[in-house]
Amino acid sequence: MKTQLAMVIDASRCWDCKACMAACKTANKVPEGQWRNWIKSVDLDLVEPGGGRLIFQPGNCMHCSEPLCIKACPTGATYRNEADGTVLINRELCIGCGQCLPACPYGARFRHAELRVADKCDFCAERRAAGLEPACVATCPTKARAFGNLADPESEVARLLKRNESVQLVQAKSPTDPNIRYLGNPGRTDWPVEAQMPSAFGFWKNVAGPVVKIFVGFSALGFGAMLAKQLFLPDHPEEDRQPEEKRHE
Amino acid sequence: MNNRMIRRHGPGGIFIHWFNAVCWFFLLATGLGLIKNPDLQPLGPWWPNFMNSLFGGGETLLAVHWGTGAVWAGIWLIFILAGLLRYTAPFLRQIFSYHLSRDLEWMIKKPFQMILGTKAMAALVRPLGWDGNMPEQGFYNVGQKAAAVAMAAGGLVLVITGVIMTLSKYFLSPNQVPMVQWSITIHFIAAGLTFGVLLIHIYMAAVSREERPAFISMFTGTVPEDYAAHHHGLWYEEVKNSGK
Repeated sequence: MKTQLAMVIDASRCWDCKACMAACKTANKVPEGQWRNWIKSVDLDLVEPGGGRLIFQPGNCMHCSEPLCIKACPTGATYRNEADGTVLINRELCIGCGQCLPACPYGARFRHAELRVADKCDFCAERRAAGLEPACVATCPTKARAFGNLADPESEVARLLKRNESVQLVQAKSPTDPNIRYLGNPGRTDWPVEAQMPSAFGFWKNVAGPVVKIFVGFSALGFGAMLAKQLFLPDHPEEDRQPEEKRHE
Repeated sequence: MNNRMIRRHGPGGIFIHWFNAVCWFFLLATGLGLIKNPDLQPLGPWWPNFMNSLFGGGETLLAVHWGTGAVWAGIWLIFILAGLLRYTAPFLRQIFSYHLSRDLEWMIKKPFQMILGTKAMAALVRPLGWDGNMPEQGFYNVGQKAAAVAMAAGGLVLVITGVIMTLSKYFLSPNQVPMVQWSITIHFIAAGLTFGVLLIHIYMAAVSREERPAFISMFTGTVPEDYAAHHHGLWYEEVKNSGK
């Protein structure tokens, strides 16, 4: 059976205690001033007049089924792990060019201040390998976060989604099919930030790539044509060689 | 007909040529293998997949590419500095010296001569007031000079951008990251364009029958006297007058 690890977050249970952020930072040794997860707040007074209450929207890398960060990575250092559907970073292959950072509309990525490579939530790969839940899930005092295999109908996340209405946070111009589903009104669901392709990447893809291909193509075509001529057609007639011999004999 | 051999390349030159050739192809193969993004990979996914399985993963491939690049650039640096006045400066002077009318005429005639033969070329260029003889050339002909300039410039750009990319992970701060991003793109462009030139160089040297003595000289170091006189007349005169 296919595995798709996912989070289901009940926004109505979050009271903004930030325990998930602290737990994540400790578990993953995230440098000072950088965060793999967050809690955004929406003042409902602004959205629904008379609402008069803050709502909290916890988040982290959404481990999208259509991840845009992967499309901005030249080397494949950022990749989708087909075994469990998570989006991961190979730190050995990442050179820290930072092109994936603006490609994520959620701002989930940052350049690790000490390692200088891209970093983000990996659903606590180390803890999972040890049989534990992600730190944010395990630590949440109100159990706002649930974690599991979306493809398994018996999993907690699948059962939560079956029983409740859920939403994804999606930017219309950068659709990603994120694997964090929200329950209990997370506030604004039309994500305001669009994914950006870095200009160096766009130039390579749209200009440099075709130009180099055409240039090398012509060069190879000439090579091939001349080689074929040499192999299959007779040598230049004898008189071609004559000036050479006349001059230097 | 004269079959005396003239020395054209010393052992140092022959070594650096083949060292460069081997490194170039290895770096090209591994570098192309590192472009896993299908939007950027010019050959299709099979190449990075093949290279990844050959080297046991992208991280090994990257390390090998870096290591080879460092050895390549390091040996080149030593070679350049060791003979700064003896051969580096004269070489640069050679490849940057152009005789406009003579070299332009050669550049126009040569492709026609190669494709159509001398007789047809002579007929084609007659309206320009030229005959079928190729203009005299020095130690390098203009095609070789232009290719050498392209290879040297391409190599320099590859080294600079390669060093920037390598430093990224170890020294560069977030506000220097755009430099890294452009280095990746420029590294690809430099490798691609230089490879296009390299194909022509390989054809001319290793495939074309006419330049076969030059190819052999890349192993033996010497060319036949009549080849030198015919293809590099100005150089031949120099050699003759210097009495070597």
